[in-house]
Amino acid sequence: MAKGQVKVRRERSVPVIMRVLAMVSLVLLLAPVVVVILAGLNSGDHLTFPPDGLSLRWVVAFFRSGAFLPAYLFSLLLALCTMFFSTILGTMIALVLARNEFPGKQMARAFFMAPLMLPGIVLGLALYLFYLSSGLGLTRTMPGLVIGHVLVTCPYVIGTVNASLVGFDKSYEEAARSLGAGPLKTFRIITLPIISPGIIAGSVFSFIVSFGQFDVSLFLTPPDYNPLPIALYSSLRYTFEPTAAAAGIFAIFLVVVSMLITARLTNLRKLANVNFS
Amino acid sequence: MNDNKKLIQTNKLQLGLNRRQLLKTGAAAGAVSMFNINHAWSKDVMWDGEPFDADGATIRINEWGGFWQEFMTSNVIEDFEKTYNCKVAYDSSFPWFPKYVASGPKDPAFHMGNWNLNEIIKLGKAGDYFLSTEELKANMPNAADCWDFAFGSGLGVTWGFGQYAHVWRTDLIDPAPKGFAAFWEDRFADKRATYITSNGLFMTFFMTAAAEFGSGPDDMEAGFEAMRAAMPMKISDFTGNMQTQVERGEVQIGVQWEGEIFLQMDKGIEVAPLTWEQKPILTQTHTVSRYSDPVEKKLALALVNAKLSPEFQTKAGEAFYLRPSNSKASLPERLKNKGVTNTAGALEGLWIPDWNWYLDNEDEIVETVNEIFAG
Amino acid sequence: MLAAPGTIFFIVFFVVPLASLFLLSLDKPSLGNASVQWMFDFRNFERFFGRAIYYEAALRSAGLAALVSLIALILGYPLAFLIAKTTNVRRNTTLMILVLSAMQLDMVIRLFGLMVLMGDVGLINGFFRWSGLIGDQPLPLMYNFAGVVVGLVQFSLPFMVLSLVGVIQGINPALEEAARSLGATRSQTFWKVTIPMSMPGILAGLLLVFAISFSSYVVPTLMGGWTVVVLPIHIFQQVVELGKWQFGAAIAVVMFAISFIVMMIYQRAAVRASGGRV
Repeated sequence: MAKGQVKVRRERSVPVIMRVLAMVSLVLLLAPVVVVILAGLNSGDHLTFPPDGLSLRWVVAFFRSGAFLPAYLFSLLLALCTMFFSTILGTMIALVLARNEFPGKQMARAFFMAPLMLPGIVLGLALYLFYLSSGLGLTRTMPGLVIGHVLVTCPYVIGTVNASLVGFDKSYEEAARSLGAGPLKTFRIITLPIISPGIIAGSVFSFIVSFGQFDVSLFLTPPDYNPLPIALYSSLRYTFEPTAAAAGIFAIFLVVVSMLITARLTNLRKLANVNFS
Repeated sequence: MNDNKKLIQTNKLQLGLNRRQLLKTGAAAGAVSMFNINHAWSKDVMWDGEPFDADGATIRINEWGGFWQEFMTSNVIEDFEKTYNCKVAYDSSFPWFPKYVASGPKDPAFHMGNWNLNEIIKLGKAGDYFLSTEELKANMPNAADCWDFAFGSGLGVTWGFGQYAHVWRTDLIDPAPKGFAAFWEDRFADKRATYITSNGLFMTFFMTAAAEFGSGPDDMEAGFEAMRAAMPMKISDFTGNMQTQVERGEVQIGVQWEGEIFLQMDKGIEVAPLTWEQKPILTQTHTVSRYSDPVEKKLALALVNAKLSPEFQTKAGEAFYLRPSNSKASLPERLKNKGVTNTAGALEGLWIPDWNWYLDNEDEIVETVNEIFAG
Repeated sequence: MLAAPGTIFFIVFFVVPLASLFLLSLDKPSLGNASVQWMFDFRNFERFFGRAIYYEAALRSAGLAALVSLIALILGYPLAFLIAKTTNVRRNTTLMILVLSAMQLDMVIRLFGLMVLMGDVGLINGFFRWSGLIGDQPLPLMYNFAGVVVGLVQFSLPFMVLSLVGVIQGINPALEEAARSLGATRSQTFWKVTIPMSMPGILAGLLLVFAISFSSYVVPTLMGGWTVVVLPIHIFQQVVELGKWQFGAAIAVVMFAISFIVMMIYQRAAVRASGGRV
């Protein structure tokens, strides 16, 4: 190839060393998952690996269980609520942060990121004490729990929406406005398409983080309704049961299904874009 | 006994203060202040032992979750809710100690609880949270049939218990270990396990070690030496984790209590309990909060009473391998075939660890032991 | 004002409770008391910085989080690169789903999976023993610092990958090709063009993983065998076990301060990396 000649063929092949490391990461990520899935499909009586045989008995037990199935459904509901509020609040905040310049903007960014920096148990504890002393009637209620979850998932939404706004040119919006479009229409036609991958990504993140959240839920859980991680922890303190593994499998199953659905709606790769600065 | 008298004294004082405060702030008229006046007197409300209609009231309890919760729900709580026309709000997310403390004794986070003595006594030290055993005995018919030691704590009633024992893998260890000190043998280096300092089983382990190697269960220095000598050692934070490690053979001898060991044996795992002359016990104890409102308080008493019934005790023994504290309860087969009996003689040598002493020294023990464990 | 609801929400449910907690750290320790007494006493902090066990835990927490972030970057970048550069939609969707499913596995159950893999009689040790690489003594991979590192990396890797994929994808291929056509080798292009262009993602990923590892309670507890005592464990112990709210709150303040410093470092680096375009 002569110097100066631009290569026509888009060479995207990934170097070998990269592939190897990528495989290592994948194995690290998935190995425990595989173990748990196999253990949950164990036909034997207790949680062993390798499994004695394969059977769906523990999956069935999970569906019948009085502790795990309600917990799973509660976690689902909780995660959906969290996702809803987190996405709305986070998007609004990200829009303001990205569009405007003002003194102390860095501090503001750090401020909204702060919930991620503290241990979930500290946040849960602080909220619990606050609920008690404020008399708002949020102690041990579901809204109280949702609030805690929204606090720790909002930063993710802000991060992803912010990333999709990097390099966002306000002049598009201004042009639309000058052509007579109202603020809502401008948002819908100009801004929304640009940030929608970020919003979807943020929603997905907040759902996953909320579903698997243990630390914050510890003090804020209402009685009678446990999120799945807490139910698992409570039960596994005493016996490691295959039903618990089955519950874990179902959580994964849920994610896979929802991701497949989302993949129909948008290219999943576009979702992975996070920026906190 | 003197402690109880002191408790009653302080209660009378607090009662007086409450009344005065209420009269001062009496502005909050209507149902609220009426309720508060009831509240101040609710300490004196007692239960006559008969079922009653609670008119849909909700009682909050703290109790273990998972399978335990399923068992309690189907064996006690469902019937209870129907008989008394009430609702039971079951909080299974341990820890409960901070929740109680955050709400304070006067506005109890829970009306009834089932948990471990060390936590209960700790809470008792933090405030006047619970009805004393005298008051409990006076209000629960089934209490009369229980062994005396069930009321040993002064703050709650122990309804089930099990002996502290070491679990060991019979197929991996030969010759069989004998006695408490076997835990420290060289052949078990890094194959023995105990718990983190917040686990009651660790506390029992510590005190037993202090007694074995020192002058008594309160010989802290001997306890620390024993911990040092036991390293390297694996540390679990709950019994489920210990079970798995034993099952997988990562641990060959571990601190446990007989119930878990019997459970593993019946599952076909090659383990056996190792016990010795001293017999410290682990307990499941119920507490009833003192400052609950009248209806909830009566419900709490009734619920605890239901747990003390012989039939329930037998079922709990069946499900959890717990020994009953009701002398009239019959033992399920699976406990009998392990040599357990429910007679006065069976209780010989059983002792409840001195939680009061432990809690007084807890800070120092926790900090020192954590340093030892961290290597 | 668009940001009003979010800001109010944060102020009411984040700032106020935390402020109360921080005020609590300035009270004298008292067993049964969880409400602020406005004492403005520093003894809790004196205790923290006075006993080695505590400030060592602070160093350990920060060091652990930094190490985990670095490892997650080294392992996560290639995977993100692979996902970003794979043009086959089916394949990159599959990879994304795999990454997301790994995120979804509950931590306590994961512990079982990791125990099976890394325990003394686990699969990895079994393999080493079978292949003769080690003798009778198993490699201690769990219940120690290594175990916590592996656990935290495993836990936070998806977050790192997801922070990077979008950014790497967004790098204009024309830039890389321009470099190649100017005679740069693949390796030079990578280090001089791709990596700098990925900086926003790299920094965001590092920050996120640091935050996650620094504040994690469950992983060090379940994987550390009580030998890796980090600050969240101390907080839990003080508040839950010992009822020392005030001291626990003081530890939380220290954690917050450390995170704040790290955040500031991140902000500076981010501004520099993007040439002030932020």
